[in-house]
Amino acid sequence: MNIVLTLFLMVAAISGAPLFVVISAVALLWFYFMGIDLSIVIIEMYRLASNPLLIALLFFAFAGYILAESGAGKRLVKLSTAIFGCVRGGLAVVALLSCAFFTALTGASGITIVALGGLLLPALLEDRYPEDFSLGLLTSSGSLGLLFPPSLPMIIYGVVAGVSIPQLFLAGLIPGILLVVLLAIYSMYKGVRGECRIISFNSRELLDTTRETIWEILLPVVVFGGIYSGFLAVSEAAVVTVMYVLAVALLINRDVKFSQMPTIVVKTVVMVGSIIIILGAALAFNSLLIDQQVPSKILLWIQGHVESKFLFLLILNIFLLLVGCVLDVYSALVIVAPLIVPIAQSYDINLLHLGIIFLTNLQIGYSTPPIGMNLFIASLRFEKSVLRLGAASLPFLGILLVALLIITFVPGLSLLLVR
Amino acid sequence: MSASSPSNLKKIGHFLGNLEQWVLVLLLGFLAAFAVTQIILRNFLSVGLVWGDDLLRHGVLWISLLGATRATLERKHIRIDLLPRILPARLGLIADSVCCFISLFVCVLLAWASWNFVQGERLAGDIAFASIPYWWLEIIFPISFGLMAFRFCLNCISGLVRKPKGVEK
Repeated sequence: MNIVLTLFLMVAAISGAPLFVVISAVALLWFYFMGIDLSIVIIEMYRLASNPLLIALLFFAFAGYILAESGAGKRLVKLSTAIFGCVRGGLAVVALLSCAFFTALTGASGITIVALGGLLLPALLEDRYPEDFSLGLLTSSGSLGLLFPPSLPMIIYGVVAGVSIPQLFLAGLIPGILLVVLLAIYSMYKGVRGECRIISFNSRELLDTTRETIWEILLPVVVFGGIYSGFLAVSEAAVVTVMYVLAVALLINRDVKFSQMPTIVVKTVVMVGSIIIILGAALAFNSLLIDQQVPSKILLWIQGHVESKFLFLLILNIFLLLVGCVLDVYSALVIVAPLIVPIAQSYDINLLHLGIIFLTNLQIGYSTPPIGMNLFIASLRFEKSVLRLGAASLPFLGILLVALLIITFVPGLSLLLVR
Repeated sequence: MSASSPSNLKKIGHFLGNLEQWVLVLLLGFLAAFAVTQIILRNFLSVGLVWGDDLLRHGVLWISLLGATRATLERKHIRIDLLPRILPARLGLIADSVCCFISLFVCVLLAWASWNFVQGERLAGDIAFASIPYWWLEIIFPISFGLMAFRFCLNCISGLVRKPKGVEK
């Protein structure tokens, strides 16, 4: 009976029922059939109030939405144009770098394409980059920067897997740079072959744009200086970020008005709420799985079939790519990570490294059909069909896959800075 | 008669929406100010409110649940809407309505479960901090799941009203 109902709920899930509803429903149903009082679901959800990292999630998201409303995106594009515009293929690199930096600052919440796409696409086309190349570039870089602090999916992984966030931030740096560099090499190659236009270098322009962007450039220094000097906890650093960003946007640059705050607050709260409610439902769902000893059963089965770490990592990647295709990054993390973490530990995989593998896979999932979020956002923003954008992103996905293999099988990249 | 009751419901919904926006702004503003005060107290004066972190964490819980309630209004919950994209419009609308009713049902169950939970905590009478009992902090569960149920109910009604038009086309 409950299997039939669970199947019915899976159909409801792909029909567009909110995921927190589906996950809660499965948990409610199974607890009901097990004869356990349904308050257990709320008791498990209440564990949300014992995790200080959710404070960091809320405030980093808030800072991100303030930055997105300010002129920070435009300034970043101007600055990187002043630096790289003079190289052949430079504008593509500009696009990559500003997307990565902006995604990191705004916590990888999917607003990069909306905020920067409209700015970068006409610029790329004007400089004679092929249209499909430009569309693919912007679509797939909408989530580039997921591995840079303070990305919100990283914080969620830290919550679920119970690893230190400052260490996770460090672990993401080199793999994140690798992704950007590989994409940049490909883009420059395309730019050189396509004989795209370049602009002449102007030191005056560079100085001016640096001065304009100085507050955004200093932000990571202030925040991560605070964390790694041991002066601030991660949640405190998030609060300091909000204050810093507010002061810059309201008082120094004055590109956000006080009257915009209610809208920004509501946007933030809606995003954070829709993530955390899924996390809450997943807490109940996971306690059910643990009660049924599902993780240990999966572990036994896998250990019986997969002997080497190498093979396990390969299977893990294929599995995560599939998960990334059908689930968004937050749901994938809260549902799948608790199952994978104990298995990975039994194969002696470092949990920081596992986190980076997870996030790289899910980042690729952002741009893959059938429900890659980037494809839909870009389709709305650029008014092109999802199918065309998917095809245009293929070369970039190929490069990201190569990077994924390197990141997976060279754990040193993730662990070098941590040791 | 049947036309007036949904419009009254809509008015209540509108009023709740405005009230909610101000509650959210005040709550987030308070949390940010409180967190900054804590940092200053701890790092510069080496004192701190022992229950400060507890208050902040519960504040985030409140904001998150209210945010999820707001997401119901704005239809911004994270979902996989694969079938409605490939199904014909008419079937898509039906799938949408079915999902709406499931969501309504689940939120009613969650509201009921959290009401029982809060009742139990009230009888236990444990104090969280500064003479505030735990159940005050937990009351947000039944409130927000109740509101979510109310909003899914509104969504269901507007879906049913919308459907005949979609089919006529």
